[in-house]
Parts: sequence; structure tokens; C-alpha cells
Amino acid sequence: MMELFFKPKSVAVIGASGTPGKLGYVIIKNIADSDFQGEVYPVNPKSDEILGYKVYKSVKEIPGDVDLAVTALPTPKLTVATVRDCAEKGVKAVIIESAGFAEMGGEGKKFQQEIVEIAKQNNIRVMGPNCSGIVSRDIVTSIYPMTRKVPRGNVVLIGQSGLLAAGMASDIVENESLDISKVCSIGNKCDVNENDLLEYFGKEQDVDVISMYLETVSDGKNLTAIAKKVAAEKPVIFLSGGRTEAGARAAMSHTGSIASNAKIVEAAARQTGMIMADDFTELKDFAKVFSTQPLPKGNRVAVITLAGSVGVNVSDLCATYGLELPKLTAETTEKLKDMFDTPVSNPVDLYFSVTKIGFTRTLETTFPDAFRDPNIDAAVIILAGFEYTQEAVQKKIIQKIVQEVGKPVVVCMIVGYNKYKNVIMDQLGKDLPVFPSLISGVKALSKLCEYGIRRQKLSA
Amino acid sequence: MTTAQILNKARDEKRTVLTEIEAKQILGKAGINCTPTVLADTKEQAIAISEQIGYPVVLKVSSVDITHKSDAGGVKVNLKNGEAVARAYDEIISSCRNYAPEANIEGVAVQKMARPGTEIIMGMIKDPSFGPVVMFGLGGVLVEVLKDVSFRIVPIEKADAEDMTREIQGRKLLEGYRGQEPADVPCLQDMLVKLSDFVDRTPGIEEIDMNPVFAYSDGAVVVDARIILS
Repeated sequence: MMELFFKPKSVAVIGASGTPGKLGYVIIKNIADSDFQGEVYPVNPKSDEILGYKVYKSVKEIPGDVDLAVTALPTPKLTVATVRDCAEKGVKAVIIESAGFAEMGGEGKKFQQEIVEIAKQNNIRVMGPNCSGIVSRDIVTSIYPMTRKVPRGNVVLIGQSGLLAAGMASDIVENESLDISKVCSIGNKCDVNENDLLEYFGKEQDVDVISMYLETVSDGKNLTAIAKKVAAEKPVIFLSGGRTEAGARAAMSHTGSIASNAKIVEAAARQTGMIMADDFTELKDFAKVFSTQPLPKGNRVAVITLAGSVGVNVSDLCATYGLELPKLTAETTEKLKDMFDTPVSNPVDLYFSVTKIGFTRTLETTFPDAFRDPNIDAAVIILAGFEYTQEAVQKKIIQKIVQEVGKPVVVCMIVGYNKYKNVIMDQLGKDLPVFPSLISGVKALSKLCEYGIRRQKLSA
Repeated sequence: MTTAQILNKARDEKRTVLTEIEAKQILGKAGINCTPTVLADTKEQAIAISEQIGYPVVLKVSSVDITHKSDAGGVKVNLKNGEAVARAYDEIISSCRNYAPEANIEGVAVQKMARPGTEIIMGMIKDPSFGPVVMFGLGGVLVEVLKDVSFRIVPIEKADAEDMTREIQGRKLLEGYRGQEPADVPCLQDMLVKLSDFVDRTPGIEEIDMNPVFAYSDGAVVVDARIILS
């Protein structure tokens, strides 16, 4: 059934508009600009043609089959009537973008309930209301104008609020910050919820990483069961709203008085292997790390730096986030003895090597020799915004070495000149996860290591 | 009585709270070790039961209407002979009648006084979304003040139970801190799995408290238990 949402052969847009700027126009325009190959049927009783498509007065007048109906109507009442029309037409998948339903309480709640009942009786799956549906290469139902084609990447984002998910989608696509393939906003979740999507994306071959943010959990018991299966095969990054202690209930038992929504959601994440993000930036950042880096076998990290002073701070952060900084083996130490004024330690301070053989040669020889050490599972690379760093990035020297060594890295940039730093962040950021602070990079790497260790245990 | 019979009896009596004796019977049948606890409805019976299970014993008022037994003067511990049991029985009954004149008191629960061990709390609550959830923590101050506990969603596996005991901040106390007897952690993990299995196959239970559980270097025992029905 989920296929009808993501790979429909025909789509009707009910409430389509010919006036640029109106939501019903943006949706049609987004579909037209996507790679959607099927039939597009705008529905509006007052128009004849929108963006070259023939307009129908009602969904029932459309001559062919309709796989997916997208509604953007001004009132809940009209929406209910349209869902009824869709049922008569035999439509099996509906995205309701309009607001004014359960989130408003009262009347809105009743209208939503009516929709749920029509859907149940007619075997229709409904996404929304109060959502922005789907952003993908093959179909875009979002109400934010898309400025570029959505990549065919390996990351999907499941979101709840329509505006935020649509906003994140256009941000990610415009800025190429993540190799996304689909963004899906499920709004009030009157029918289709996170569990349906998690199960669907879990089985999709081309999806490697699932990022999900929820304000409410629809069915936690089922989520736990599904997430456990999915997270055993691909990372599921999870940002949960409503995690405050205020959730603690009035209970008769001691256990009940301590249990809060926050603790239970965290427990579910630990139990299933989902990776908890603490904000929207992390939701994207973690997805970047997981979708671009191989999984480490452990939590032993090399810190690669050109300034010894950073080492202390980054070592502390690693300890806080459960990463180890082991010594390199005797073999590596011996091999690198000429490149360090004192025997190589960890953090690996490349300064002496740079003064001796230059920045590029250091990156090409000293760095990989240290990074290949069998005691090391992953690296934090600290770069500065200087001209020679920019050169190395533009020549893809760092990217190449990292790929050759085959272990995961995060890059942190903490000093430098903006004219170089911005270029480095932007260009290197397309290939590797680059962070503007040590703490964000170390935290993201710790999540990758935690997940890598879990997967090792599962396969053992 | 079987577990189903105990639950049905409570429901027939329109009760949502099981007595400690009922709770321990049910948990015992689920394979969870509880201190032997028997109901006495006369002083003489209390002495006879005490002789049978062996001194020292603890006497606790048995009444679903009295939640805070200690506040009601309904608990007497470390009773070493028949005379002490007789006196405690009378004191409990009169103190509780004073404390809660309306309460229905079915008698006094006589239980073996457990040797002190590392105090543990285990429990279960039903979350509206996640369903039954089990909890593990160190008892006493650590649970009261620091809420140093871990949770997992039912059903749990052995690996989840291992994570639960490992996750709490005070885990070092389980290893035997400052000469204290270490806790039999595998036994505690086994109890958690049994608790999860039990609630997973038994619908209609809202909350369970096993508080305290005393953990020893070989084994553990539930000293007090509470079960609340939906």
C-alpha cells in the first residue's frame, strides 16, 4: 500500500490552483518539476487548465484510475466530502495537507474521525491531515517551492510537522547538505504513522539511513518491535519531542511515579538500537555521518591535529562520550619515528611532520600510517581554515586518503579564516561529515561507534 | 489457587489492589523468589505459622484498604518468639483499627524475616503507548532521591536485562562496595526476564512493585510486593 504514496502512476491534486503562491499551485508546480512520469489531474471546479494540465471539476470526473490523491482544501468540511469522493472513485491513498483537524480539538477532531471512518470502510490509507506529504525525486507534494531536483540519495527523513519537514527538505536539497532520497511528513497521523513508514523504508533496498522526528509516538509497543528489526539492519536516528519529566504520571506504585515519557522513550531507543538525536541539527548531522562513513568495529579513536593544545579538550570530550584514545602500536611508532619530535602519541600531533615534509606529504603519508594502526577504529580530524587546507580539500587529498584507509572519520573545524573555512566546510562537507565544533563532531562519532559496536554484537 | 483464580477473585470483589500475600503467590508462580508469607487471622494462628516458617519473623497488617502499612503501625519486624508474635499481633490490629476504622482487615501476614542484602527495586507499569514497561533500580535513597533506575519495554530478552543492570549509575554497589556482600546480578537479570515474561502473558495488570528485593551473593528474594490491576 505504501507504494501508492511513493510510486503512484497517477496523482490527483484536489484544491489545485493556477495562482502562483497559492498552496494548490505550489503542489502542482512541485509535481511538474519532479521526475514524476504518470498522469497529473488537478481538481478545481473553477479552472480549466493549470500549468498545462487539464483541470477536472471533481475527482469523480477524472477518466483514468487515480493512485494517489493530494488534498489542499480551505475547510475540513470540504476535505471530508472530498475523501468521500475519493472513496467512490476507488482511490486507495490520500494525502491531506490542510490543517484544522485534531490539532485544533473540538469540531476538527470530529472531522478527522469522520475521515478515519471513511478510510477504514473503503480500505484507503490516509497520510495527514496537517502535513506536507512527500518530497522525493519522483514526486513532491510539499507546499514549499523546490528549487532543485531531489537527489536519489540513501537517506530518508520522517517528520511530523508539515512546515518543519518541508522546510528541512528544501534546506537539505538546496544546500546539498545530505544525500537525501525522501522526506515524508505525517502530520496528525490519523492513519499512516511512523511505524508504517519505518517498516516500508526498512525494506527499501536503496535506503541506508532513516532519520525520524516525532512529537508524539503513535504506538510505542509496535514501534519498539519494528525499530528493533529495522535498526538491526540500518541505522534509525530518532528525535523525540515531549521528552520532559513533566510526563511522569500520577500512579499508585513506586515504579509508576518514577517512569516518565522521557525515560520510556529513551529506554525504547536503547532497547531497539535507535540512535537518539537531541535537536534537528543532530538529526541531519548524524544522518550525514551514518550515510557517508563505514561502521567502526569499536570505539578506539585517533585524534589527528596540527595543534597540541586542542588535544586536551578533544580528549576530554572523547572520554565524556565514551570514546577511547588508545596508544598506537610499537610498529607504527617505529615507522613514524622520524616524523615526530617525541614518539607519536594520541592525539596525533602532525605539526613536526608538516614542518619537515610539508602539509600535503604529511596528509599523504604520516596521517594514513597513523590512521591504519590496528589499534584505531576511527578518527577525529581537526582542520584549520588556511589556504593550504583549502588546496588539499580542493585536490580531494583528504577525501582520497580517508577512502583508501576505509575507516570512519569526522572532521572538526575550529579556527581559520572564513574565506578558506567556508570553502572547506562546503566542499569537504559534500564528501565527509564536517562540524563547526569539537563537541558536535565527537558526539556524532560516538553515536556511530556505539551503533557499530551494537551491530558487531548482533552479528557475533 | 492459580494465578487466574487469584486475579478473578480480586476482580469479583471489585478490587484493583492485590494483597501482599496474593501478589507474592502470583510472582512465586511466575518463578520469582519471594519471602514465604502466610495469612493469619488469629493470634494463635500467627504463632503456629511463625513456628513453622522459623524465627525471626515479620508481621504486617493484611488489608487492601491500608496502603501505608508502616504509618498505620501495621508492621512489626524481627520477632524472635511466640510471645513477641502474640504481642505484635494485638498491637497491629488495634493500631490499624485506630488508624483506619473503616478499613477491612483480613488479618496479619506472617513472613520470614529476610536477611538484609543489597536493596533493589523492580517493577512494571503500563504505558499508554508502549504498553508494559519493566524497571530496575537500587532501592532506598538511590531510588527515592536520585531515581537511579533503568527501563525496558516488554518483552525483554536476557541481553536487555543485562543492559538494565549495567545502565544504572550505582552499578558499582552491586559489585560489593566497601566490603558489602556483592549482589547475584545474573539472578536479578533472571528475575527481570521472568517479570517481563509474566506480564507479557498476563493481561489486565496495571502496575507491579517488588520493593524491596534483597540481593545476596547467591540469589535474591522479594521482601515486599504490590500488584495493581487495570
